[in-house]
Amino acid sequence: MTTDPEDIIRRAQAGDRDAFSRLVDDHYATMYRFARRFCSSREDAEDVTQQACIKLARSIGQFRFESAFSTWLYRLVINCARDWQRARPPVRESEAPEPAAADSAEPAVMLAQVLAQVAAMGEGYRETVVLVLAEGLTHAEAADVLQVKESTVSWRLHEIRKRLAQQVPPGVDVCKTTN
Amino acid sequence: MQDDELKHLFARVDATPDATPDEDARRRAREAALQAFDAVQLENAAENTVQNAAVGTGEQERKKTAPGDQGFAAGARPTPDKPSIGRSIMNVLSAHNPAQRWFISGLASAAVLVLGVFIVLQVPQRGGLEGSLGGLADSDAYDEILRSERSLELRQDSLEEVIVTAPSAFAAEDMEMSAEVAAPAPQASRMSQPALTIEEAVITARRKVSADDASPPPYYQDTGRDKFEATETNPVKRVGEEPVSTFSIDVDTAAYSFVRRQLNHGVLPQKDAVRLEEMVNYFPYDYPLPEDRSRPFSTNVTVTDSPWKPGNKLVHIGIQGYELDGAQPRANLVFLLDVSGSMNSPDKLPLVKQSMHLLLSRLQPTDTVSMVVYAGAAGTVLEPTPASEKQKILDALGRLQAGGSTAGAQGIQRAYELAEANFIEDGVNRVILATDGDFNVGITDREALQDFVERKRESGVFLSVLGFGQGNYNDALMQVLAQNGNGVAAYIDTLGEAQKVLVDEATSSLFPIARDVKIQVEFNPATVSEYRLLGYETRLLAEEDFNNDAVDAGDIGAGHSVTAIYEMTPAGSDSGVFSASRYREQAEAGDARGDEYGFLRLRYKLPGEDKSRLIEQPIPLRDDSTPALRREVDFATAVAGFAQLLEGGKYTGEWGYQDVLRLAQASRGDDPYGYRAEFVQLVRKAEVADAM
Repeated sequence: MTTDPEDIIRRAQAGDRDAFSRLVDDHYATMYRFARRFCSSREDAEDVTQQACIKLARSIGQFRFESAFSTWLYRLVINCARDWQRARPPVRESEAPEPAAADSAEPAVMLAQVLAQVAAMGEGYRETVVLVLAEGLTHAEAADVLQVKESTVSWRLHEIRKRLAQQVPPGVDVCKTTN
Repeated sequence: MQDDELKHLFARVDATPDATPDEDARRRAREAALQAFDAVQLENAAENTVQNAAVGTGEQERKKTAPGDQGFAAGARPTPDKPSIGRSIMNVLSAHNPAQRWFISGLASAAVLVLGVFIVLQVPQRGGLEGSLGGLADSDAYDEILRSERSLELRQDSLEEVIVTAPSAFAAEDMEMSAEVAAPAPQASRMSQPALTIEEAVITARRKVSADDASPPPYYQDTGRDKFEATETNPVKRVGEEPVSTFSIDVDTAAYSFVRRQLNHGVLPQKDAVRLEEMVNYFPYDYPLPEDRSRPFSTNVTVTDSPWKPGNKLVHIGIQGYELDGAQPRANLVFLLDVSGSMNSPDKLPLVKQSMHLLLSRLQPTDTVSMVVYAGAAGTVLEPTPASEKQKILDALGRLQAGGSTAGAQGIQRAYELAEANFIEDGVNRVILATDGDFNVGITDREALQDFVERKRESGVFLSVLGFGQGNYNDALMQVLAQNGNGVAAYIDTLGEAQKVLVDEATSSLFPIARDVKIQVEFNPATVSEYRLLGYETRLLAEEDFNNDAVDAGDIGAGHSVTAIYEMTPAGSDSGVFSASRYREQAEAGDARGDEYGFLRLRYKLPGEDKSRLIEQPIPLRDDSTPALRREVDFATAVAGFAQLLEGGKYTGEWGYQDVLRLAQASRGDDPYGYRAEFVQLVRKAEVADAM
């Protein structure tokens, strides 16, 4: 079997079981990492990724090579994550993310808090910040994934920066700022 | 919190074991995915069987009917290839694979989706496709489209069918399985019409939704950030209270090009973008040329009936500058080109380059050209070069690329330095700024820039502004710069417009024949009860400024024609807006000059002179205009009426686009460049855009 990604996709589209298996293996880590950013726990992320893999099986035939496969994949995972969140009752505060390991707790918790704030700014904000800052996509690429205008992405990021800058960083004594 | 911190946070979280996928989970996911994959393949096979065996008669019929028969759907619209998976709803429902539940939920979503499709299909007729879709993208309808992506495999027979079954599909949403949902199936086979399959509908809808949104925009594009100065339309004034009206002439044309661009995109322009005088002055008028050079221009006053308000009269003041004959004065031109990131769009930098090519063709070999660019910083890309070294200039142009922020102020300073260093006495020294007007580094304050340009004007270096692009077009700043820099502000949206401004009208854009041209009209209270000036809102002057030579006003270039129009209500007519005053003294009838509507005064300076000259002329009651002049006046009236309609039609009453069309059609004249024909098309577009 060739290792050309496009070839693998084409074979999978044509019904080649091995190629599809290979495709899932190749992209699972990316999909999981990406899903993890939208989910509060490891288990959720695994579930979302699994749904995304199933969806991949169903819709691989619809990939038209019009955009990068990764772009398409991002979109697919985001849709799965959205479905997942919709299907669940809203996350309560008490269900704060549980750290998987003690030493990694602090950044993970903090990131979760920040992302929760960003998500509260409106639909698409969390996705935007994850795509651009975490995945390193350009604004244009992120816009492609989210199917919005590039200027929308730029504007969201601007808005996020502005609003996060207004937030008092955790640990700072609030009284100081009110003097 | 800064970006960097957030990035760092992401990186740190990625480094935790939590971020690495679990091998078991991966295996489970792969199994599940492969199962789904197999199911899909199985369906494929099933479909083939159905196709070959052609079992159910209804099914058979359906297969046979060509998609083109449907009129509305697939045939007319190019849709992507159909994936080779099951097409039969019967197969879907009889399948026992639990994964098939997707189809059921998909059926429900599909019903909702159809509503979404209809919304999308209706949108273009309502106007503002882009905007509406933007809204749709955030709406539930769009969510439904996204959600139904997972049911793309679902086959539905026809759009009509979905509507018929929509209620039951909704009901089925919460139900577990098939019995109730099976109901649509017999109908499906009864209705032998094939149609837009759900998948096609979804894709069509998604395509429509993403037509503007999703395709990666290869160029910088901004929308909704065009900046215009808000102005109030000049009000009607009583002659008894304020008989004198004073304003500076304006030869800018930017508003017309911008309006044209908007209308060509099928939308009405913002009201603030419409400046009546710039629309009227866009067109060359065939006014008589001045008889001798001592007076640089002819003034032609014509009084006509107002087409939009019976009883009212229009006073046209047409000014025609003389044409340059003989040698052009030598020119020292500094191109100041904006190459910031925002210029990276086909209608900006590439158009700038093409425009400069055109301008070069009009220069004499001895003229010098230099080029300054600015983006994040300003720099000279071409030292003063004689126009004869055309290739060198073209090479410098060709190397330009857009990127970075916009330190416009710095660029202006640099350009003026170059122009002054290379100053030509008795020649034309001009900085030509090509930009989208977005200055965001350095002096960004409008006042400060204005001061700078004003001071430099004293040195004899003039500034012309060529505006490009839209979405982020800073019209307000460009106007301020050009007005204070004794220059012309033109808006260039197409190469044709560049040709008009830089080649056909190069002499008028480049060579001023009269400076600080001011117009003052005093109306006669005995014959006129009220009046209003059409346009020139940004050019109004105080009455006393007319005789003050220190007050700056507009310039006229060689061959320029300028038109100003007043609408007035003759005394005794009841077509005015004011009701008669009970107490105010009526102007004594029988007062002298009952044969004049008013008196026109015009002040101008010849180039290089500081003292203004005066032209005076009465506005007679009787109309002795020639048919040729009358035709020009009528066309200007049509343009003025059109501009008023675009501004909201406060004073035009029932008069509409059709009337504009009639008037413009009847007065098209020779129209050698086709500008007037284009205007007629534009009126039609406005009528369509307005109806939406």
